Amino acid sequence: MADIPAPRSRTRRTPSRTRRLNEIIPPEGVPLHFAVAGLGARLGAQLTDMGLCLLFLIALGFVTNEVLPSAAWWSLMLLTFFAIRTPYYIATELMWNGQTLGKRMLGLRVVGADGRGLSTNAVVVRNLMREAEIYGPAFALMGGLERVDLWYWLTLLWAGIAIGVPIFSKTSQRLGDLIAGTYVIEHPRAGLETDLAAQPADVARRDDRFTFSADQLDYYGRYELQILEQLLQSGERSRRETPARQVQEMEQVSRRIRLKIGYSDPVKDSEAQAFLRAFYAAQRGHLEQRKLFGDLREDKFHTTDPETKDQP
Amino acid sequence: MSQTDDLRSVRFRRQREQDWKTLDALLLRVEKNGVHTLQFIEARSLAALYRQACTSLSVAREISLDRGLLTYLEALTARAYLAVYAPQQTLGGTILRFFARSGPQAFRRSLGFVALGYLGLLLGTLAGILLYAQDTVWYQAFFPGGAADPRQPGAPASELLSVIYNPETPDGGNLSVFASYLFSHNTRIAIFCFGLGVFACLPSFALCVFNGLGLGVLVGLYAEQGLGWDLFGWLSIHGVTELSAIAIAAGGGILLGSAVLFPGPFTRKDALRRAGPDATKLAVIAALMLVVAALVEGFGRQLVQDTGARLVIGWGIGAGWAWWLLVAGRNRAGDA
Repeated sequence: MADIPAPRSRTRRTPSRTRRLNEIIPPEGVPLHFAVAGLGARLGAQLTDMGLCLLFLIALGFVTNEVLPSAAWWSLMLLTFFAIRTPYYIATELMWNGQTLGKRMLGLRVVGADGRGLSTNAVVVRNLMREAEIYGPAFALMGGLERVDLWYWLTLLWAGIAIGVPIFSKTSQRLGDLIAGTYVIEHPRAGLETDLAAQPADVARRDDRFTFSADQLDYYGRYELQILEQLLQSGERSRRETPARQVQEMEQVSRRIRLKIGYSDPVKDSEAQAFLRAFYAAQRGHLEQRKLFGDLREDKFHTTDPETKDQP
Repeated sequence: MSQTDDLRSVRFRRQREQDWKTLDALLLRVEKNGVHTLQFIEARSLAALYRQACTSLSVAREISLDRGLLTYLEALTARAYLAVYAPQQTLGGTILRFFARSGPQAFRRSLGFVALGYLGLLLGTLAGILLYAQDTVWYQAFFPGGAADPRQPGAPASELLSVIYNPETPDGGNLSVFASYLFSHNTRIAIFCFGLGVFACLPSFALCVFNGLGLGVLVGLYAEQGLGWDLFGWLSIHGVTELSAIAIAAGGGILLGSAVLFPGPFTRKDALRRAGPDATKLAVIAALMLVVAALVEGFGRQLVQDTGARLVIGWGIGAGWAWWLLVAGRNRAGDA
């Protein structure tokens, strides 16, 4: 089935190997995998937060300018300016369980790396480090770097460390994250799709046009099965009228599968989808049976090395 | 095709799907409005359903090859985990505990590092005094004032005194601006001083020394004119708190830096994480002290003109801090 690369890019579910996953083991002992947020997304969230805060500051300034006497207005501005630099992040991350407004918009979240949830302490420290890690180098670089002296090299080194740590960290942790023992993830989301191996509710009679022998089911492995699942799911989603390209693709795939497994009974092109579904159900049953006996076939190349599990 | 209906994974899913949907609906509400909006029964079922989902996920990983199902369960369980293990301390409780116990305890655990911060300040001050005695040019190098500042080497004593005893009483409005400026500026410096420590201690220590140098040359300037005592009063009223705050923040930074430099039996990453809680508390203590320092400096320095009163206020507040940090939470030291 190497000849159907298309469905992977079309499905909403991105394949896991394009994202970095990190494992957290909660007290329940069932490992959970979180997608580590990319640095781009985090920069986006950071900029969103800064933008929102500045907007708030400016709006507050305009609104209160008329009402307050000038001294009180200046105090208010100074204190607000202080508040949007560190306290804002602490307060929002505490209130919304690890999400600032920017992170909320971009679907990011801070989690504790040890699986015991986010503590107040962790939130405070990761945001205190912001001053030395983000604002400090940023302002130093923006400010005076006109002379090449010791300070110049120190500033470059400082910025280099602050930027380098998250880049080289496997989990994109910045220094504050390392100290707090936290990292930023993409908030998990996934809808439940229909079970393709189950009998569709609107079909009264079992579809027994196609039967497969154990020999025929021994050709493919888990990887091919799940690729087929993605192809069928994309057909499932547009159930009303399957687009012509998809119909064509399914015909191709079904021909290919019949050839590979040596399925000799004739199958009409119009039955391609039904055939694939029947094959999927039979193949899944077969592979799940083997898995129960501790003998799962990873893919058609009979890969057994767990390291290359996700590589076809 | 005869076994389609009997697929174990299909039956497994059919039996539990309803519970997953219930959990999903609960989670949507929690993510939108927070866990506190749930009724008691709902919160209880959230925890139960979460554990059930954990079991489902672990079983599904064993028996099912349905990728759609596995992805869904993984995401559902992860969301439930995030909801169930969200921070549950109330903010009020955390703050109260910090004041009553955990703050001072963290301070006492890291006394050595804070002492290093004070040492930096002290060394800087001594160096500043000695350098000024050697050559007054050092004053311009270390004291962060412009040419408009009346405090210059060679200035007559009356001008130097005019900065210390400022007879004109500005209106209260300006004082509040000054206080809030001092607060936001100094706190940022302290947080900065703290955060820099992670870069191998030195920057925090160096900042302390540098602050000390500025102080030292100022002391040298006033002492030269025999005004040391007046300057001492002027500095005491806010400096006791402010300089201590800087030393404490730097102590937090040095604590972090020492975790990087000397991780002991842990990896550097783990060592940093272990040093985190105490260092954070030091930074928070410093921030608190700076609030007080800003209030005292913004109002007190202008309103209180008598050296004796300045000394009493400054060192009185200092003694208050010392009492809090050294005594509070001591009798229950075990249950940190």
